[in-house]
Amino acid sequence: MYTNAQYLAYNGKNDGIRCDINGVTSFVPLDPANTDYANLMALVAEGKLTIAPANP
Amino acid sequence: MSTLKTINVIHPSSAVNNIVNDASGNVAVGNTLAMGSSFKRNRIINGNMLIDQRNAGASVSTTAVTTTFFVDRWFANPTQTGKFTVQQNAGSVTPPTGFSYYLGAVSTSAYAVTAADYFYVSQSIEGYNFSDLGFGTASAKTITVSFVVYSSLTGTFAGSLRNYAGTRSYPFSYSIPVANTWTTISVTIPGDTSGTWVGSTNAGSAILFFSLGTGSTFSGTSGAWAAANYVSATGAVSVVGTSGATFYITGVQLEVGTKATPYEMQIYSDQLAQCQRYFAMTFSQGTAPANNTATTGALRGTARVINATSQIEPAANWRFPVTMRSSPTITLYSSGSGSTTAQWNNDGSTSYSANARSQFVSDSNADINNAGVVLTASVPWQIQATASAEL
Repeated sequence: MYTNAQYLAYNGKNDGIRCDINGVTSFVPLDPANTDYANLMALVAEGKLTIAPANP
Repeated sequence: MSTLKTINVIHPSSAVNNIVNDASGNVAVGNTLAMGSSFKRNRIINGNMLIDQRNAGASVSTTAVTTTFFVDRWFANPTQTGKFTVQQNAGSVTPPTGFSYYLGAVSTSAYAVTAADYFYVSQSIEGYNFSDLGFGTASAKTITVSFVVYSSLTGTFAGSLRNYAGTRSYPFSYSIPVANTWTTISVTIPGDTSGTWVGSTNAGSAILFFSLGTGSTFSGTSGAWAAANYVSATGAVSVVGTSGATFYITGVQLEVGTKATPYEMQIYSDQLAQCQRYFAMTFSQGTAPANNTATTGALRGTARVINATSQIEPAANWRFPVTMRSSPTITLYSSGSGSTTAQWNNDGSTSYSANARSQFVSDSNADINNAGVVLTASVPWQIQATASAEL
């Protein structure tokens, strides 16, 4: 279960995603081979999750 | 049946004995030994259930549609919540000869499995460790899966070998004839010449399932490849159907060929490193990751000017013990004894910061720092972390 997803950025470029995975805050890298990242992208594609933009 | 009694075996053109037998049953090979399979032949990692980084021997409950890991590399993702628990050496029975640990699943209710239900314990196999078997090609190799199993129930149990995409499955069944007795099982599976199997990459290639109760939708004919998503053979025993029923397993091996060879024991450090490709932690081995439980092993960083906006924050680089399968997901845990979770802890006090985070993650290392909060400079801060690159 992925909730509260938000991009993290460094120098204006997205570097990862902070989200709660089963209620535990975790940091997911933007690596297509990472299972959590693949799951997040699948949920986004299905319209079941929105990832908030990074804080300015 | 015949017996050849001889000491030396030699090729007519060889100057030395190819094979020398002695009275103690030893065999000496005169030159290179070329085997049909190899040492390091087991494609299952932690098949003897020794490494348990996440839980340190504690019992784990299972949740619907949620991947939960037990001993390293072994997981479940059931359709219903709370129907079974899993624990290293659950029930504390004597492991089978040659083993010290087993994975133990215990049913927590008498649940009647519906058609779309599945309950199992399983392990995913990475493409790098499976692609040489040639599955999905005409030269697919026959493999043998072996394990030692124990249950409070008797009858026909089942499992399945499936491709990672869930489009090719080989359900298999096996018998446990005597309750509460370790039984050694061997299942030979012909290589799959059809379907799509991941090649030599870090992606998932196959999953080996041991069913604890599976409905008809995810059950298929035993002993045949099918273009379907099966985790069990039809008609198998449902462990979750009996409250308190047990299913214990160890010595799981998947190897090339038609013969189950003795379980391939690993040096502990080698086996731990194999597991750390998928999960690593700053906590000491034997300490399950949790907030405010341990300072030993914590990453330490002194707050300093760290980024382009000149914020003062603690930072530490965590270099993983081995190269991980992919860039891992990082989870942070407070060290020390406070009540705050997942934050830096000011060494020697209960003063916590906020906004701890992980950045610049690769398969070899990660930065753990802090965002947007000015912290006390020149003071040691500490934090614990885990990294998961599981399939």
